[in-house]
Parts: sequence; structure tokens; C-alpha cells
Amino acid sequence: MIDAIENSAYAIWVRESPSIWAFTTILSLHAMGLAIIVGINTIIALRLLGNVPSIPIYSLRKLYPWMYVGFTINAFSGLSLLAANLDNDVHNWMFLTKLSLIACAMINLELTRAKVFEDPLVVNGTGVPASAKRFAIASLVLWSLAIVAGRLSEYPSFVEAWVGF
Amino acid sequence: MVDAIASFLTAGPFDEFVATHDWVWPLCEILHFFGMALLIGSVGLVDARMLGIGKGIPIKSLEKFIPLGIIGFVINLLTGLLFVAGNPVGGPQEYLLNIALIIKMVCVLVAGLNLLAFYALGIAKKANAVEPGGDAPTSAKVVAVVSIVLWFGVIYFGRFIMYSDTLLYAWGL
Repeated sequence: MIDAIENSAYAIWVRESPSIWAFTTILSLHAMGLAIIVGINTIIALRLLGNVPSIPIYSLRKLYPWMYVGFTINAFSGLSLLAANLDNDVHNWMFLTKLSLIACAMINLELTRAKVFEDPLVVNGTGVPASAKRFAIASLVLWSLAIVAGRLSEYPSFVEAWVGF
Repeated sequence: MVDAIASFLTAGPFDEFVATHDWVWPLCEILHFFGMALLIGSVGLVDARMLGIGKGIPIKSLEKFIPLGIIGFVINLLTGLLFVAGNPVGGPQEYLLNIALIIKMVCVLVAGLNLLAFYALGIAKKANAVEPGGDAPTSAKVVAVVSIVLWFGVIYFGRFIMYSDTLLYAWGL
């Protein structure tokens, strides 16, 4: 199964085509999607932590679809890069850690929407639920760790030398 | 000029330090990605707001996050210099003559001038006066489009630095 995916026409194109639109553009898109979703997340988290109080928190809910634009770009670019290098990636524990962290970060993103952005205090602009700061800190920590794990997954021998596996 | 920059970058202990400590490069890459997210999150979001995204957000307030983008930029400038100084394959010259890095740097430069124009030409002042829910003036929208295209161009060509032969191939060079 892993072989079949890695040797599919698409995976081979992603991996081996000298075209500008293959591997490198997909890799670039992955960095852009990261910047969009993590960038917006960071600003929302900082606002929830009390920075720039003149921004009404409720007005930031309109940024959710744009975080999903970033997420969608990265889901597609990520799956393409994964198909091209599947056998290595599924055995790379740092890569699997990154995926787990992103899953947690996305759950946190939706919990923030439900518990903070749909709270009547926020909707009416009269206050912030106490949980907002916890969601904000979780967001900053999870996305930061996801970036760390994502970068380190490119250096498996370095990780092994330092961690032992 | 390339030789002058290269010898400047290798005059200090940095290239040696990168070569002898295996954690420096991955750590700087992590920081470089953090800096990128901070820059796009702050500057990119102000641009997006001026183009009409999240109109309920007051532009003037959103701009207070710009210093965060400048912090991100400085992080990336410093880590970027370290990458050039400590390039393990071919040294600084290899990077300084790299077509993708050159295009990236041109994008950074023009994006910087664009930001300067935003403040110096009084466009920021006009944008700041926009009420929540209001439309930014056309001049601000032009600045925003230029900014977004250039900063994403920086990311795009940044990722091509390691694979600059695909660019040369595409352009028949």
C-alpha cells in the first residue's frame, strides 16, 4: 500500500519532476499556509491574553475562514509531500508528533470558537470568559511545538543523535 | 560586493560556530519559521484588513501588532545572516549568488520601501482614520496588495533557495 502510493504517477511527479510547479512550489505553499494559520492564530491568542484591548474580540471571528484557507493549503500540500515520501515519513516519529500537535491545535481552535467566540459576553462585547486565556496559551504552545516538530522532522539523524531514537 | 559581504560574514566566529555545533542550524530554522509567522500574522493581517477582510476590526488597533512583525523580521534577518555565513555547502558565496536568495532579498527590500511609503506618504494616517466596518482608501489597498504579494514572494523564493536549479531549469538557464 505504501509502495503503491509512493509509486503513483502523482507522487512520482511531486518527487521527481524538474518542473517549477512540482516539489518546490508545493513546499513553498506549505510554508505560506503555515504563516497564514499560525500568524492569525498568534494575533487572536495575543488579543485573548489582553493585548490591544481596543480590538473587539468578536470582530476577530471573521478570521476563522482565513485560518481554514491556510489549513486547506497545508492539508493539500502536506498530503502531496507525504505521498512523495510516505515510507520515510510514516517511520519518522517527529513527523507523527507534528501531526498529533496539529490535530490538538485544530481541536483547540474549534473549542476556542465554541467556548470564546460564541460566548454571549464576547458576542455582546461586554466581557471575556475566564477560559479565553487558557485557550490562547494552549494555541500558542501547540502551534509553536508543531513548528518545532515540523522543522526537526527534517533532521532525523540530528534528532536521533540528541534524543537517542 | 559578494566577496566583501562574504568576508564580512566569515570575519566573525559565526561560520565556525555553525560548522561545529549541529544544533545551531535546526534551531535557527525553527526561529526563522517563528519570525515568518509573526511577520505574516501582523503585517499580513493589517494588509488583509485594508483589503476588506474582517472589516469589524479597527485598522488603527490592528496596526499596534506591527512591532511584533518587526521583531519577527529582526529574528529572520539575524538567523538569515547566520545561514549565509554558515552555509555548509559552498560557503557564503554560494548563497549570495543564489538566484532564489537574490530574488527573495529584492522582494524584502521593495516590501520595506512599500512599508516606508505607507507611513511617509500619509497613507497610514488615512487608513487609521477608517472606522470599524469602513473601507480603506484605495492608496492603502494598493500598499496592501503590494505588501502581500511581496511577503508571500519572500516565502516562495525563500523555499527555492535549496532548490534553485528548478528555477534555472524553468527559465531555461
